[in-house]
Amino acid sequence: MQKTVTLKSEVRNGRGSKLARKIRASGQVPAVVYGHGKEPASISVDLHDFSEALHHGNRIFETSIGGTPETLLVKDLQYDYLGRKVIHADLVRVDLTETVRVVVAVQTRGKPKTGVVDTLMAKLEVECVVTAIPDRITLLVREMNIGDTVKAGQVQLPEGVTLVSDPEALVLICHEVAELKTTEEIEQEMPAGPEVITERVREEEGEGESAEAAKGKEEKKEKAKD
Amino acid sequence: MALMPKRVKYRKQQRGRIHGNATRGNYVAFGEYGLQTLEQAWISGRQIEAGRVAATHFLHREGKVYIRIFPNHSYTAKPLETRMGKGKAEIEGWVARVKPGMVMFEIGGAPEEVAKLALSRVAHKMPVKCRLVTRRHSLA
Repeated sequence: MQKTVTLKSEVRNGRGSKLARKIRASGQVPAVVYGHGKEPASISVDLHDFSEALHHGNRIFETSIGGTPETLLVKDLQYDYLGRKVIHADLVRVDLTETVRVVVAVQTRGKPKTGVVDTLMAKLEVECVVTAIPDRITLLVREMNIGDTVKAGQVQLPEGVTLVSDPEALVLICHEVAELKTTEEIEQEMPAGPEVITERVREEEGEGESAEAAKGKEEKKEKAKD
Repeated sequence: MALMPKRVKYRKQQRGRIHGNATRGNYVAFGEYGLQTLEQAWISGRQIEAGRVAATHFLHREGKVYIRIFPNHSYTAKPLETRMGKGKAEIEGWVARVKPGMVMFEIGGAPEEVAKLALSRVAHKMPVKCRLVTRRHSLA
């Protein structure tokens, strides 16, 4: 279940990366608000409050844009190159009773009986009411053995949540980890040096040219005899 | 020689320079935990191999190691006591060029404590400052 967090926001006047950089330097995050057929709005929110709310798994926010109260759902986030700071957010207008499509993270819990569990789909797309968006989908892997798989359709979802992702898509797979190859084994498999594509082309061209040249010489010799 | 490409277009390359930060390959994509570089550097095939051996030895087949970088850049070096000139020297080795933010190694299927210890061992084999990162459970 999602909690609604109240955020303070300011309407941004102006556009561009220079202004966005200034906003980030002042401890704010530039964001864009759209949806419900209304005009999109450029706002900025406090980085600390926003990041903390995200860290606690919240994705629904309430804010006032130009005096109008709005309920917003996080649609997209952009992070810096180290993945530490949020540098931009896309927020979409929603009603709390509205049904939305969102992606929910998949989390595994426990250790399989044998082998190692590989998460092939780290998130599932689901459809539900805004207030019923699950924080994450937890899958227990204690009973899994080598060769066992979990498909998206087999995942038990909370009540009121329906799956949108392909139900045949593999979410988890349990497999054996291959034995450690030694450096010597890997070196034996590797060629002594890489094949150079341009050298091969040159050789082929060279062969063609030499054959033509030989033909030309023979013709010249015959002419000389005549 | 450890890792190197199977096919290349040209045998020798210019050294070049590494500019900027990573805009791709800067998040954990396959495993649960990753080792992210904070510096730009050349990571040799031998260093990557040393990291792989350190991690897989420590994991005891308890988890899977993913290597996200590949040494696809060759460099040449002249032998000792050789006069300058006479053309570009022969290939000395192959390196992966990394930018700050790039996730070099990932581990999946292992408990958090084990994975973090394994990655810290890998970090000791790397010629760069590193930090441990976990998979971001994106909300969007």
